[in-house]
Amino acid sequence: MKKTSFGRFVRAGALALAGVCGLGGSAFADTIKVGIIGPFSGPFALQGKNFQAGAEAWLAQNGKTVAGHDIELVYRDLPTANPQQARALAQELIVRDKVQYLGGVYFTPDAMAITPLLKQGNVPLVIFNAATSAIMTSSPLAVRTSFTLSQTTTPLGKAAVERGVKKFVSVVTDYGPGVDAEAAFKKAITAAGGEVVESIRMPLNTTEFSPIMQRVRDAGAEGVFAFLPSGPPTLGFVKAFSDTGLKKAGVKLFAPGDLTQESDLPALGEAADGLITSFHYAVSHDSEINKRFVAAADKAIGAPDLLSFPAVGAYDGMFVIAKMIAATGGKQDAEKAVEAVKGLAWESPRGPVKIDPETRHITQTIYLREVAKDAQGRWINKEIASVPDQKDSGLTK
Amino acid sequence: MTGATLPHDTAPRLRTLGQDLLGLALIALAGLAGYALFPDNLAFLTRVVSVALLVLSLDLIVGYCGIASLGQGALYGTGAYAAGIACLHGVTEPFLLILIGAAAGAVMGLLMGAVMLRAHGLPQLVLSIAIVQLLHEAANKASSITGGSDGLSGMVPAPLFGVFEFDLWGRSAYFFGLALLILVFAALRFIVRSPFGMVCRGLKEDPLRISALGIRAFPVLLKMFAISGAVAGMGGALAAIATQVVGLDSVSFEISANALVMLVLGGIGHLYGALIGTVIFMALEHVVAAINPFHWMTLVGAVLIAIVLFAPRGLSGTLDEAARLLTRSRWRAGR
Repeated sequence: MKKTSFGRFVRAGALALAGVCGLGGSAFADTIKVGIIGPFSGPFALQGKNFQAGAEAWLAQNGKTVAGHDIELVYRDLPTANPQQARALAQELIVRDKVQYLGGVYFTPDAMAITPLLKQGNVPLVIFNAATSAIMTSSPLAVRTSFTLSQTTTPLGKAAVERGVKKFVSVVTDYGPGVDAEAAFKKAITAAGGEVVESIRMPLNTTEFSPIMQRVRDAGAEGVFAFLPSGPPTLGFVKAFSDTGLKKAGVKLFAPGDLTQESDLPALGEAADGLITSFHYAVSHDSEINKRFVAAADKAIGAPDLLSFPAVGAYDGMFVIAKMIAATGGKQDAEKAVEAVKGLAWESPRGPVKIDPETRHITQTIYLREVAKDAQGRWINKEIASVPDQKDSGLTK
Repeated sequence: MTGATLPHDTAPRLRTLGQDLLGLALIALAGLAGYALFPDNLAFLTRVVSVALLVLSLDLIVGYCGIASLGQGALYGTGAYAAGIACLHGVTEPFLLILIGAAAGAVMGLLMGAVMLRAHGLPQLVLSIAIVQLLHEAANKASSITGGSDGLSGMVPAPLFGVFEFDLWGRSAYFFGLALLILVFAALRFIVRSPFGMVCRGLKEDPLRISALGIRAFPVLLKMFAISGAVAGMGGALAAIATQVVGLDSVSFEISANALVMLVLGGIGHLYGALIGTVIFMALEHVVAAINPFHWMTLVGAVLIAIVLFAPRGLSGTLDEAARLLTRSRWRAGR
């Protein structure tokens, strides 16, 4: 060997030093920390920005103090679905940053990786997005303020058949929420008198959709039901649906609102015109409280075009967390905190909502919407019908 | 390799042994210092240890055999999934799980080596990427076994020695990982200095000459692939035990590419470089991502470019250089 032992020494010393540099943490007196995990960089960064905008809109409207306790948000970036990293981040937020509450979480696999930690850490998780029904059964300390695919998809069955479209191909992303969406749609369309002739499941990282569109064409379906996680995949999918001529050929696309989120509409333009979706929230929802929310969230996000549904999940999530803080008097007691919000009902920007005491999931109105232009010529999801008081139907077989 | 500037003819064996012991002691010391200084960061530190095993395994192939690979995640992920699946099926003893990870990694290493050694240079690199992508897709498709995109979760490893649980605070996982790293490192020092290790290096520097000695390259390199696979597999198994989740990312191109970046950063071809690169890269990423979760990737990229520009031989190479300059001047002063 040709190295000096001194060289070794220097190198190993550097190793120790590298471990030292910059790690560390501290806690403050009577500041309650809320850890928010979301995709703040990478392809889904816009969804994470919406988390941030929603949470900050709530703080801007209600102040940063709840019952005498300051709230501090600690953001952690999880760019794509990555359960292992999600767990590491949550663990670190609990152990090192000493957060009392966890919030956020965009993808289902990440939520599933975090829930086993909650009991040991004595920390409730308020899910701002991740939408698979089964997450709620994995921990009694999880509360959700977004939606489930089962919840948003179910009204589509009747809506499709009413519009004379009965023969469907279902196209979903092959992971938790996709499977939920497929099952819910099959159930709903069969109940309404239609049928699904072919079910396609795509890998989560699919970016090229023309082969899928070809299969839809070959199946000779009248309609396509589709679910993908909102972000670059949905933009690509809706574009491909239009570009490959399926839309022109008269095939109808029915989907939960993930596919026509407001931040994608300017880019989609004509390609999305007339698409029927069902969802829990449209940025254009006509209510006083929503106008105030949109104004505050627009300010937080910087550019109004970027605002989309994850923001409302985060906004209501902050409301729930604030209620938890008030109910526990700022003390760390996850069980008491969750107990306190069971049955909690309030007026959200999306309409009247309630935390179902059994599932800890949000009960809400689901709207049927059509992509159209508003008076100012901007593309919006125009609400055309509403189904009030929808619980999550994904767990009842 | 670093230049042979210092003569050491007297009892070189004893001396290298002493150096190795010193190195191991320093790693142990660094590990304990990590525990003492950051008792709240053990989950992260355990991840560093796990990835360090991956980068070490890559160094065996890249640094000692001269085979470029962007698919090391295939071996790491195989170990992780093997340990995860075994754990879900009732094998919860952590030592056994590490062995299972090592065995699975070694088998995958043999397969991967058998394919990759058919080619040289860039085609070889392409093959490595293809293998990791194929495995990634296979793990995604076989969701009934691997959990697919939802990940494999729900495993509960038995407590270490029946006493120390793998809990939220991660003490047992960290010490378990640290001990494993030290053992593996000691074994690898031994292996790379053995005649077998020398042949591998010879194949890297001058394959023609080695074949003139009557040694066939293929079995030698394949053996190194198996060893590398075992080390990477142990890293994966450690991650599975510590986090109790296995995701598709553990068998991804991304983790493979990151491993190569860490190795280049630390310095190729001496095992210490792999450790330094891993610690620096992951600490940097970790700290910057916590400070600014919105633009951290840009900052990490900028720092990496700076390091590669100013320390082209990797950090350990640069430290070597500095150490040599220092010792030389000391030596002169001494005379």
